[in-house]
Amino acid sequence: MRQRITFIQESEDSFDPKLLDVYISSIKARGIRAIREDRITFGLQELPQELYRVLKASHELHIRWVGTRSYMSVPPIVSRLSPGLHVFYTPQRNSSNSDLLCPSLKKILGDIDCESTEASFTNLPAERFSLSAAKQYYSPLFDLDELQTYLLHKLCKDAHPNCLQRIELLETAASLDIDFDTISHALTITAFWPKRSWDFDMSNMEPKERLEVGILTESHAQEPEELSLGGFLTVVSEDTKPSPTLFSFPSRHHPYDGSFTSSFIQPTGLHPVLKLDISYRAPPFPKEDRSCSLHAHLTLPRAIFADKYQLADSLFLASKNLVALHYITTPVDLEAPAYTLPIWGSSLLLELAPSQASNLVPPETSEWDTSFTAHIPLHLRYLPPSVTPQTLLSVPSPVLFWACTADEGSKFPVNPFDRTNLGYDGLFGPRTMFYHLDPKPSIEGEGLLNEISVPVLDLEGSKWVETGTAGVMMLGFAWVCWCLLSVWMKNGYGATKAINRGKKEQ
Amino acid sequence: MPTFFASPLCVFSASILLRLALLFYGLHQDAHSPLKYTDIDYHVFTSASLSISRGLSPYERETYRYTPLLAWLLLPTTWAPTYLWFSFGKLLFAAGDVLAGLLLVLLLRNGGNGQTMAMEGALKYASIWLLNPMVATISTRGSSEGLLGVMVIALLWAVVRRKITLAGVLLGLSVHFKIYPFIYAPAIMWFLDDSQIAPASNPQDGLQKHGNQNEGSLVTKMLNFFNRARIRITVVSLGTFMGLNALMYILYGFPFLQHTYLHHITRIDHRHNFSPYNTLLYLSSSQPSSSSFNFESLSFIPQLLLSTTILPLLLAKPSLPSTLLAQTFAFVTFNKVCTSQYFLWHTIFLPLYLPNSSFILSPKKGMLASVLWVGSQGLWLGQGYELEFNGKSTFVPGLWGSSLLFFGVNCWILGVIIKDVGAMEKKHKGNVSREVRESVKLGRLWT
Repeated sequence: MRQRITFIQESEDSFDPKLLDVYISSIKARGIRAIREDRITFGLQELPQELYRVLKASHELHIRWVGTRSYMSVPPIVSRLSPGLHVFYTPQRNSSNSDLLCPSLKKILGDIDCESTEASFTNLPAERFSLSAAKQYYSPLFDLDELQTYLLHKLCKDAHPNCLQRIELLETAASLDIDFDTISHALTITAFWPKRSWDFDMSNMEPKERLEVGILTESHAQEPEELSLGGFLTVVSEDTKPSPTLFSFPSRHHPYDGSFTSSFIQPTGLHPVLKLDISYRAPPFPKEDRSCSLHAHLTLPRAIFADKYQLADSLFLASKNLVALHYITTPVDLEAPAYTLPIWGSSLLLELAPSQASNLVPPETSEWDTSFTAHIPLHLRYLPPSVTPQTLLSVPSPVLFWACTADEGSKFPVNPFDRTNLGYDGLFGPRTMFYHLDPKPSIEGEGLLNEISVPVLDLEGSKWVETGTAGVMMLGFAWVCWCLLSVWMKNGYGATKAINRGKKEQ
Repeated sequence: MPTFFASPLCVFSASILLRLALLFYGLHQDAHSPLKYTDIDYHVFTSASLSISRGLSPYERETYRYTPLLAWLLLPTTWAPTYLWFSFGKLLFAAGDVLAGLLLVLLLRNGGNGQTMAMEGALKYASIWLLNPMVATISTRGSSEGLLGVMVIALLWAVVRRKITLAGVLLGLSVHFKIYPFIYAPAIMWFLDDSQIAPASNPQDGLQKHGNQNEGSLVTKMLNFFNRARIRITVVSLGTFMGLNALMYILYGFPFLQHTYLHHITRIDHRHNFSPYNTLLYLSSSQPSSSSFNFESLSFIPQLLLSTTILPLLLAKPSLPSTLLAQTFAFVTFNKVCTSQYFLWHTIFLPLYLPNSSFILSPKKGMLASVLWVGSQGLWLGQGYELEFNGKSTFVPGLWGSSLLFFGVNCWILGVIIKDVGAMEKKHKGNVSREVRESVKLGRLWT
């Protein structure tokens, strides 16, 4: 097991390294204002048997959980996903054990709607770039309670207070990544907490294990592709004092001065429209410098979907401040009710059309230079009848970013804070930089979820539907039959009688 | 100066102009408004044609649930330049409309059975179809229902004119296109008895058979049922239907069967529509299938009993056109799914039925029927709007109640149509016995 704990501070919070106490096998500090990232790497043999069997059958497995609370990102941890549980998965070729995944996910994370990787997962575009896994799954899971219980039982067997405390900390995590691939043959768990004040006291019990603590601040990078960090790193049990460091690395994901809110236009009906209010200072690069385009990536649970055929007409798209639909999960059933579909839902990537001049807000009235609104037309499926006439549906806020092409020849090797398999990164070329807009809740203090009240059949009111329909149906049929009977009584069933009579009359 | 309806030139020019105007209006709206005039289905058809033009299967296009014939027919929509050719399908559908109107006029002028009508009357009644804004809009928006209208009315025309082979081809083709015209097969079969065939061919032959029919055993009666016309139409229509299916199956394999036919068996029509079964289907589709007995699974019994058996048996001989109307009306009324496009299926027969209907003879009754039919639909549409756009749960009692009310109104109208056709029997009897008497005289002269 290897642990890496990183605190990243903004320059105004910078921390005096003297306040960091380094002991022989532990490290202590108080009052660090920072965001925090814990990364724990396990060897396969350290894992419980059931997990080992799942991972044996996986070529790649990336689990991304994101909470609903909004937070400000601090570089280099700037990449975003929609709130909820995302799973990106490539099964091991010729392995018959890929159907262990759904039951294991349920056991570890809680009661999610996952039947099997065949039925519930969707396929991502074929592996053009090795960046992305083959299959995708999403579940609107917004807490880690089950995971905490699972970890308590599996990891803290001796109920060490340090262990219990670490797991309790997950309560406030903003995101959690679990990564495995056959090449590294290791399982990495990465948790992230937004900015707050930290007191910590960590010790490394096992000499074989490694504990590394870093306290870093962003510094100015030389190249636009790069991020730069400076600060102090300490390897517990090896170092006697924090060692200063300064390093730069090319990064896919970059911070950006812009934000957006998403909300549904009321009334939502059965064809809700997602409204995006977007504000920013300026595109990441001047037009003539680099080509950048603004995108929205939506993760839609199965009850709600976009119609790719509707999003094909350029006039229609332009009227919504959209440019084009670049990707949508295929296939997306356009008719089926939600309760007959095993598939998790769909994701789509839309290019937005930042308006050139029309919606410019004068700088003195707003902190932003540009703000505009885009509308994304969506459709609801029928949901199961319920004892109430409306069912609440939570739709996670989308992810918005500028995608810019990096300089010719630039590469993004794995960096210490790199994050891939986010659902949208694989849809772009390898030389793409992402500039992320901060999602803001549409209602102050609420989470990054948009709720829709979906009309459903009210079971209370439909006790008489079956008998009523049957009764009316029989009445109607009886009336028609009565009319037919009266005709038959008068005429018989054809013209033969008439002919016979005609013959007799001769 | 002759009135508008006395001149075929006036009526047909008006119907063509109406369609052209709507077509150009649609082009304008599509080019300048994000709200499109063109029906979504038209894009489904044309992208299926595009698939075919690239050597692929039309079923590459999701929700293409039709015969490949339709996509073939619309292949010109893939030709360049697109702005000229893309509307080809709409022109074709609109031309089908006008042709159907022409056949209506011909049928009204001389509907067999010695029924004739003056040109002005025929044009007036045909205008119910020709100048109907709903019909013209549906076709110019690119919905293929109009094409079916012309096929079905041509089928009727061919039967009435004793063009049996043509009728067989049209029957097979239209069933291949949209399945539902199979309900016309029993009516046409029953209609084509010897009294219908004989006067046109050999009267002596016909009379002899009648003689046999009265004296012979059940077996000979059954054998006699299969006269030449009935055998021919059976063989030709089955041959056409199966031939087309075999061809499409060879070309496009299982997806053809799946999307054109099997889809209709497995689909759950849960989204709100005019059908009285709708709310029940939503309710039962969401429950585990084994939970209880679902009576809606028996819905095909009243529907098919009426539209394929009882109605043809009792009504086909007195009046084939009105029987086809009653059958279609029964089929749509008792169907598990019903949208406004289905109303086009019976609108085509309306001009042939109305001249002898009590809705025209008693304008009060006619008005009442229109008000009830439109009113109950309006009630449903209001509830549908509240659900679709305001998100109110109007499933019960709103949508359910208004769909049952609409069903009730439809049943009442169907009853009136049945009684009307029954009453035509009396007149018809007069005609037939006179015809038979005349043919007997002719036969005597001939021998």
